[in-house]
Amino acid sequence: MTAGIRLRRVAVPAASLIAGALLWEIIGRNTSPAFMVPFSVTVAKLAGLVRSGEFMAALAQSLALFTSGFLLAVVTAVPLGVLFARVRLLRIGLESYVTMLYATPMAALIPFILSLFGFDFGAKILVVFLFAFFPILYNTVEGARSVRPELIEVARAFRSNEWGVWRDVLIPHTLPFALTGVRQGIGRGLVGMVTAEFFLSASGIGRLIIVSERDFDTAGVLASVLLITLLGVLLMAIGRALENRYAAWRGLDR
Amino acid sequence: MTAMVEPRPRTGVFGLSEGAIAKLAAGLIILALWEIGCRAFAPAYVAKPIGILLAIPDTISSAKFLDAAWSTLWAVVRGLIVALILGTAVGLTMGRKPIVERALRYYVNGLYAMPMVAVLPLVTLWFGYTNEARMATIVFAAFFAIAINAADGARAVPPEYIEVARSFRARWDNIWLGIALPASLPYLLAGVRLAAGRALIGCIVAEFFISLEGLGFYILFNSRTFNHNAALVAVLLLAAFGVGVEALINWATRRYLPWYRRGERGE
Repeated sequence: MTAGIRLRRVAVPAASLIAGALLWEIIGRNTSPAFMVPFSVTVAKLAGLVRSGEFMAALAQSLALFTSGFLLAVVTAVPLGVLFARVRLLRIGLESYVTMLYATPMAALIPFILSLFGFDFGAKILVVFLFAFFPILYNTVEGARSVRPELIEVARAFRSNEWGVWRDVLIPHTLPFALTGVRQGIGRGLVGMVTAEFFLSASGIGRLIIVSERDFDTAGVLASVLLITLLGVLLMAIGRALENRYAAWRGLDR
Repeated sequence: MTAMVEPRPRTGVFGLSEGAIAKLAAGLIILALWEIGCRAFAPAYVAKPIGILLAIPDTISSAKFLDAAWSTLWAVVRGLIVALILGTAVGLTMGRKPIVERALRYYVNGLYAMPMVAVLPLVTLWFGYTNEARMATIVFAAFFAIAINAADGARAVPPEYIEVARSFRARWDNIWLGIALPASLPYLLAGVRLAAGRALIGCIVAEFFISLEGLGFYILFNSRTFNHNAALVAVLLLAAFGVGVEALINWATRRYLPWYRRGERGE
């Protein structure tokens, strides 16, 4: 019985993935190569890109961009959000603006960044940063809202110093929310990364995609999109694992 | 001082409450810093609050802006509706039928995790530089967020409901439309909120990429011609749309799903 269930758990997804690849292959073989190329050709192209080192160079460029922007967003948004939990007036004053900016599509700001900061690496980091910053801050503020002022008062009453309040009350309460933000920030940061690579100076995987598209190299486009999907899945899995690791803290004396 | 001791004064208790004053003050400080900072350090063409304010009447009465706004927002709304119908159907099926869930899981999760703007070159290969390409991007951007949330929602339906319905010999449409759909509504609404943001980004980026009439292109064109004030009015409209969807969904959740309080704003 359990063996059967386990088999089904593996067999169904495997069959479905194989069916997807087959479908891709069949569609690719029966349409013009400008529209779609078979799965096997795409994989061969991907292998070629990996072997030539072109792929590794693009990946390294993209990851450097993503990590710089994303880490910058984490180290600024998380402390700011925790500070909101400590200084209530700051939170009340600013939280509606944070929500507003969280709901604003940051992609709309790209033309301004382009005309103000030009095409250099810093401008692209700014794009990734802007995409990732507000989801992290927004969710951390959500956590800040869940910190009851009584808890801070009790901590102070027991002569907890400022660091103690942060370590024992503020950070444990806001961290699970901040990590939800980090997961969202990874997703949005990746969008920011590709967008920056498309519209500011072409670089990394974004450049790979654009160049292939201009050459009507459908295999190249599909291979790079496949690649970026794998990168997205990997980074999102890391984000989700981090979030789940601390999710249990969320229920903390509520 | 009394306000500080008072636990959580709510808005509207003192006429203009502490919170409203703090919000107003913070807003004014931000605008003042922007204005002064830009006057001191940035080139003259950079948008400043007073300039934007003065540009609003001219911009929103120009036919170009109105056409662009209509084109973008209507495309986003239509795309969202298509994604909502398809995403709900696929998501509910995934949530109710384990075999469908297992078969589609990797596709849905994978394509959801993929940065959606990466499909743009592919979409333009398939649809050309057209309105359809933009629509496809919007639907693609929104679909997976809705499907994933609908599936979570359908999975969270208490099994007793289904069992009771079955033992009363309910028809399948009663189970799906009468139980699974309403019970997963809160998740679906959360999905729509996520999807709206993604759809908006997808639409704008598609307009950049395809040079299609719409707010994204309006922003691109006006910022290139150093008309930053008009471009920022368009950004404000996009922000208002994003905030509006957010507010609409919060309102709908409170109004129609009052039992669903978990994770919603408020204390």
